[in-house]
Amino acid sequence: MQPESAKYEEEMPSLFWALDPVFSTFARLYIKDIKEMRESKQVPGIFFYNGHPIRQVDVVGNVVLTKERDAFYNYGVDDSTGVIHCLCWKSSREVEKPLSAFASQPNTSSNLALLGHVKKLQEVVHQKTKLEIGDVVRVRGYIRLYRGQREIQASTYYKVDDPMYDVQISRMLELPYLYREVYDKPFQMPQEAQSDPNFSMDMFIEKVKDFLMKNRIQTFYAQELETVKSLVSLASEPAPSTSLQQMDSENEPRSKLIHSAFKEAIKVLQDKGVIFQKSKCSRDLYHVTDHDKELHRMTTDIIKADCQKPRHAEKGCHFLHVLDSVRQSYSPYLTQEVMHRVLELLESNSDIVSTMERHYTAF
Amino acid sequence: MLPNPGIYYFPWEINSGPVQVGETLRTFGRLHCYDLAESEAILTAQRNSVQHQVRVCTKFVEPFQAQLGSLYVALGDMEQRDGEGPMLKARVLTCVEGMNLSMLEQAIREQRKYFQDRQGQVESNAS
Repeated sequence: MQPESAKYEEEMPSLFWALDPVFSTFARLYIKDIKEMRESKQVPGIFFYNGHPIRQVDVVGNVVLTKERDAFYNYGVDDSTGVIHCLCWKSSREVEKPLSAFASQPNTSSNLALLGHVKKLQEVVHQKTKLEIGDVVRVRGYIRLYRGQREIQASTYYKVDDPMYDVQISRMLELPYLYREVYDKPFQMPQEAQSDPNFSMDMFIEKVKDFLMKNRIQTFYAQELETVKSLVSLASEPAPSTSLQQMDSENEPRSKLIHSAFKEAIKVLQDKGVIFQKSKCSRDLYHVTDHDKELHRMTTDIIKADCQKPRHAEKGCHFLHVLDSVRQSYSPYLTQEVMHRVLELLESNSDIVSTMERHYTAF
Repeated sequence: MLPNPGIYYFPWEINSGPVQVGETLRTFGRLHCYDLAESEAILTAQRNSVQHQVRVCTKFVEPFQAQLGSLYVALGDMEQRDGEGPMLKARVLTCVEGMNLSMLEQAIREQRKYFQDRQGQVESNAS
């Protein structure tokens, strides 16, 4: 009866319902589905279509049955897939007040105009809410159970003027699309947000950096880093897991996973200029930019010496000039990021002074 | 008691094929003639140069303004009368002159296709 497979049998905890956008919309369902979908075990009045919690619905159909009571109309609405009772309260709002309530006010011209408007409004409201068999009606509201039958308790309802069937045709064309794109697709809990692999990777990279800084490490090999227990435990901890990641880790040996995490962290730190190498081979020694005394001394010396030269005496040495010189005398693979970091550090230690943008001098 | 839903059928499906007596349905066509005395109207529709007719009993929807040649949509229940063919006892008969007929046909096909696909999926899941 219901197009639900067993995997939806277990309903989402009510705490998460609001995460599903369908929950807070008036779901445009076929009446057939409104009558057939399963009611929540947790909260009566909430229903589940394909795992989507449904609180309120929106239907368009022909009135095929009318009953009038003192306080409400009961319309049977047929949308060609099903027929359902719609309980439509007679309006008790301001617009339904007898006109005499307004007439008691002083008869100024503006009041008379207002009176006219209210009268017109009442007429329109009456026209739109008093329906005959065959009229097209749009109803939005909650589903409730009355004498064992589901009905829609309207929060709004009105007669649809559809002399050329446009509204009904467009809805008939729209609904299959809406079902395929939204209602029939199971709702994915946004767990990915919590266990985004990039997110945990960022954390891990930060931890590696902290480790290097706190322990004032000057140089290290990649293999050495992979023996640090506190870091390995972080890398091997599967981040709040998605099933996808778990599958990955089952296919891949853990050690390989840890290795690739370290590799990634080293690469990112290298790109940021936190660490660098004097060669291109990843197995070689890594230097920690902030703790490499030799690089600091050499950079200061170069700036000091070159600022004596008449060419740089006035403005100081340009960043690219410093980079060039350091590359020549220290390591040809030094990146701009590393150089930036060194110069910033030296400047904050007052070893060098920037004279203007990207120009440095030393005394 | 609520009536059954009026499922859309094309006019050419009504006299032949899947429609059973007692079935509730919606269909459409141009008003070809209207016999006030017999409370009977005939809707016609063209398809592949063949003219199809649907006989409609109008007892429940009278009085109504019969505009010969205009498009109508009917909702009702199929009846079989002795010695005559099937007849649609209309509960709703609405003039929709100006309606985009091909669009309605497309919409009916889309809706059918959706339910067929869904039924197919349920069955393939069950097996």
